[in-house]
Amino acid sequence: MSRRAAAAGSQSSLREANRLLVVETVKRYGGLTQVELATATGLSQATVSTIVRELLAAGVVDTANTTRSGRRAQMVTLARRVGLAVGVHVGHRSMRVVLGDFTHEVIAEQSLPLPSGHRADTSLDRVALLVVDLLERVGATLDDVVGLGVGVPVPVDSSTGMVSVAGLMPGWDDVHVGQVLSKRLGLPVYVDNDANLGAIAESTLGAAREHDDSLYVRVSHGVGAGIVIGGHVHRGAGGTAGAIGHLPVEFPGEPCRCGNDGCLDTVVGAQALLGRLRNSHGVLALRDVVQRTNDGDQRCAQVVAEAGTAIGRVVAGLGVAVNPQVVVVGGELADTGEVLLRPLREAARRKVRLNPFVPLEVVAAALGSRAEVIGALALALRSTDVPLRVDTDEDVDAAAGTA
Amino acid sequence: MSGDVPLLSMRGITKRFQAVEALVDVDLDVHAHEIVALVGDNGAGKSTLAKMISGVMAPDTGLIEIDGEQVTIPSATAARALGIATVFQDLALCENLDVTSNLFLGRELRSGPARDDGRMELIARQVLRDLNSRIPSVRSPLSTLSKGQRQSVAIARTLIGSPRLVVLDEPTASLSVGHTAEVLVHIERLRDLGLGVLLISHNMNDVRAVADRIVVLRHGRNNGEFDAATVSHEVILAAITGATASEVESGPLSTLLRR
Repeated sequence: MSRRAAAAGSQSSLREANRLLVVETVKRYGGLTQVELATATGLSQATVSTIVRELLAAGVVDTANTTRSGRRAQMVTLARRVGLAVGVHVGHRSMRVVLGDFTHEVIAEQSLPLPSGHRADTSLDRVALLVVDLLERVGATLDDVVGLGVGVPVPVDSSTGMVSVAGLMPGWDDVHVGQVLSKRLGLPVYVDNDANLGAIAESTLGAAREHDDSLYVRVSHGVGAGIVIGGHVHRGAGGTAGAIGHLPVEFPGEPCRCGNDGCLDTVVGAQALLGRLRNSHGVLALRDVVQRTNDGDQRCAQVVAEAGTAIGRVVAGLGVAVNPQVVVVGGELADTGEVLLRPLREAARRKVRLNPFVPLEVVAAALGSRAEVIGALALALRSTDVPLRVDTDEDVDAAAGTA
Repeated sequence: MSGDVPLLSMRGITKRFQAVEALVDVDLDVHAHEIVALVGDNGAGKSTLAKMISGVMAPDTGLIEIDGEQVTIPSATAARALGIATVFQDLALCENLDVTSNLFLGRELRSGPARDDGRMELIARQVLRDLNSRIPSVRSPLSTLSKGQRQSVAIARTLIGSPRLVVLDEPTASLSVGHTAEVLVHIERLRDLGLGVLLISHNMNDVRAVADRIVVLRHGRNNGEFDAATVSHEVILAAITGATASEVESGPLSTLLRR
């Protein structure tokens, strides 16, 4: 939407603010009728009707006839110029599904908490049902969808779309994620590691947009990194490039799910962090640690900062190998801001002193905790043969996909 | 969290209906900022226990403590005064009223002799926003809302009057996955707001997704208590059905459970 500068307090600035309010409201709810729009925004019916007509003419929204409590009504949704795509991020304790269009605009979104050690059959079934549910919410069908991008928190073999390292996610080892979902939904499905998807999102739409070489470090229940070289995600021969969570950092260390000892994940993974807080704080969830850190809890902040240092040391090594312009840090724990970032930055810089004039930048993900799912959406969109009307997407890299 | 005084503590709760032992010597704790799931087969006593907490039914014997103080909960009003809010399976909402009226049903705000509709709408919007609810308008009549949205309204209603403990009886029963997702996110939100939540459910997936602790009832008795983040599906199922550990690992049940 074009935003003309208008004098504050003038008629036109008010109109502009109202227009923005209507767009934001439609975006938040996915789709709603003009009557609902009026009550949700607090604007009058007449104002809403005028604004919707303007937005329709400008191609920002679409309208469709529907019924609400037996009466005819106008359903307003964001325009889906060419088609829709679905982004899915399956994590260790939650999944998130978004519907987006070719402008990467998210038009509907839903997250779902998942049990620990959730199984592939149940969770993929829920993915499929959630996708259909979200489509219904915005008045669309599977025919409007061009493809589905799926992120999982383990390395993925890009040629097969299967989990490439056994044992990291019990019950998912032999599951052909792409095939299961594409058979179920009748759509092309592209599967990738979630840190790679975060890297795609941040390097095209987020904090690393200006740079050719960047790292995306995802700090959540486990740690992973996505490596972008010359604008392309580097996945490696077996899809395990950037799997820094399984780099050994302690000798001898705790046993890791991957079969080795002393991996970074055994030091900074959710289980390790929560275990360190158990004596003082009892049983916490990872998001409690984030919330308490932000509320000023010293002990939680200390544990997060220690994790930052440990991850920074490993990022330093990766930095030497890749020499990126920027390291973008995402994942749940990045919501603690500088508490995690400062020690991570310091540890990374202490080791990387190759060029004193270009210090290694370490910044928070611009897309926040949505980076991965937006990356999944972007992956589906860039893998689809439709003329893109998006500006930053020429540096599309070949997708890891299965049709 | 384990060290402090529980928000709700029940000890030795027993209830008999003639020959039926609904509850026998049941213990239950719920802390602030905690989701406790109460699971069990049909007739295990889950709903009976919930009714005692919400003041619908009194135990024959046993102690109930709120913040370490012994209390009796003789009525729903008394429960509400103690900061306990309950959502029963039949949501008890009025189809013909709008969202705001349903939230404040029986507790309408007044300014002088008249209803203070403006303030009620304001609070209604705020409560729905606190829950990150997707209900577009607080003026929508209930009849226009989906099943999931109605459940959201019922959960939002518990927040009116700032309760500290929310009891939810089968909140995701017969909801689609999309609506289940919304409700589960709401439940996590209640906990993150610092409330204690007692979640009664049959769905092991939903329970293990959001709960901190899982308490199993079997034939009206405590039959295990588990840390939800680490316990496996199989172990809870075994506690619910009464299968012993050896049977789970090697017996004929093991093949069934692994499927």
